[in-house]
Amino acid sequence: MSWLLDPFRAEFMQRALVATLVIGIVAPVVGTWVVLRRMANLGDAMAHGTLAGVGIAYAIGVDVLFGAVGAGLLLATLLVTFSGNRRLGQETVVTVLGTAFFGLGVVVISRLDTGVELTHFLFGRVLTVGWGDIWLNIALGGAAVATVLALFGELRLATFDHVQAEQVGVRVELVQAILVVLLAVVVVISLRAVGTVMSVTLLVTPAATARLFARSLRQMTTWAVLLGVAEGFVGLVLSYHLEAAPGATIGLTAAVVFAVVFAATLPRRMPHHHRPLG
Amino acid sequence: MSPHRHSHGPHHAPGPDGVVLELQSLGVELGDRRVLDDVSFSVRRGELIAVVGPNGAGKSTLMKAICGLVNHDGVVEVNGVHCHDRTDRMDIAYIPQRNESDLAFPLTVGELVCAGRRRFRRWWQRPTEADRVVVDEALTRVLLPGTADRSLTELSGGQLQRAYLARSLAQQASVVLLDEALSGVDEPTTEELFDVFAALVEQGTTLLVATHDLGLVRRRFPRCLAVNGTLLVDGAPSDVLSMEAVDTLFSVRPAR
Repeated sequence: MSWLLDPFRAEFMQRALVATLVIGIVAPVVGTWVVLRRMANLGDAMAHGTLAGVGIAYAIGVDVLFGAVGAGLLLATLLVTFSGNRRLGQETVVTVLGTAFFGLGVVVISRLDTGVELTHFLFGRVLTVGWGDIWLNIALGGAAVATVLALFGELRLATFDHVQAEQVGVRVELVQAILVVLLAVVVVISLRAVGTVMSVTLLVTPAATARLFARSLRQMTTWAVLLGVAEGFVGLVLSYHLEAAPGATIGLTAAVVFAVVFAATLPRRMPHHHRPLG
Repeated sequence: MSPHRHSHGPHHAPGPDGVVLELQSLGVELGDRRVLDDVSFSVRRGELIAVVGPNGAGKSTLMKAICGLVNHDGVVEVNGVHCHDRTDRMDIAYIPQRNESDLAFPLTVGELVCAGRRRFRRWWQRPTEADRVVVDEALTRVLLPGTADRSLTELSGGQLQRAYLARSLAQQASVVLLDEALSGVDEPTTEELFDVFAALVEQGTTLLVATHDLGLVRRRFPRCLAVNGTLLVDGAPSDVLSMEAVDTLFSVRPAR
């Protein structure tokens, strides 16, 4: 027990825990739809791309959260505007934009003389999480979860059969645009605790794990959140004992759980491949 | 609340002569290729119509143009109303080819059918008890009673087609377009589907079924539209599907 609780004697670790748990709840709720809509590459581009805003904000002395929000929204707008390009295809546009923003961030940060390290932003720096950040994260994350819950029916229709959905009145493109903005929100709230790059793990991996065995959307969302919270907690404890970067440790923990569940559900999935559709 | 919530059949009044769908000089260009040209026909309430033609003849494109999925010229009228965009066409239901929907999506049969009810509410409203009643009744009509809580992945191909038909019923569509519903379906399943077709036609729904099985069309459909780049023939299969007509149908190059 003490092995689990020891790390949280220090107040900064308590803050880190709360911050991680907020992400552990919010990221999988949004991530469920990212996985179902096969938008994981968009999440990855968003995770890297926000670094541009972070770097610029740091350079001009503004809170990096504002930079991340600004870059996230700008990137979201560009992604939604240009990812429909037929000649290039969505994944190409997403990669070009994501790497461009990421590159800009790296260039800006590496030109700074303040000695700030790139890895702090990429993989988080749990020590720097303050209660102010946490309250902001709870507000932003709460809004993101509320949005997903309010749009649950619309998301379901738009994702399963976007053709019919549009015909019966669902604004499919608007739903997609909202989801891209929610991606940006997840990256922003992950910034300090797990870092931008690793934010995409809690976005995708718990939801992907739940997808392997969940039989309904409600089950999938519930399990993704339970996994996200548990993996966030265990990853944080492990990172304390291993003295490793929390974001990366949480990411690895989530990946191990995914691998175990993948292996365990393999026998159940196999027969489906061979079952005739009738 | 719509006064039609508890009814089942198409609820918009068809035109004075029972016409629910009318096409005037419909044409479609995909890229620089004219895939369909000058297609005109009208269909009445409660008709069962086969749309035949070889692969690439434009059957799917015709269906997609009718429900506004692809840009077209010419006119599409549904229940006498000129359609401008997708939302004008809520009276049309389109059932895609099987490989076009993500069948691994975690969805129950009831949720699939309930998607048809979306047109009767706003985005923030949840399905009501009345919607659930309509869903259950629609499933009964397509001979899938009591399956609302089952996962979509548990359905066979024919059952899935019927679940889609139930969605069209819940949508209260006047016209249902089925794209290749009969391909790769075995004999008993075909029979089941035709039983359901008959039940829907009986209550006034019009079905357009794209297929390239001419034998089946001769045996089971009272009317067929033969398409290859344009509308070649329109009438009872016994009259219009002569050997010569079939030869022409399968040899004519699509319009360019």
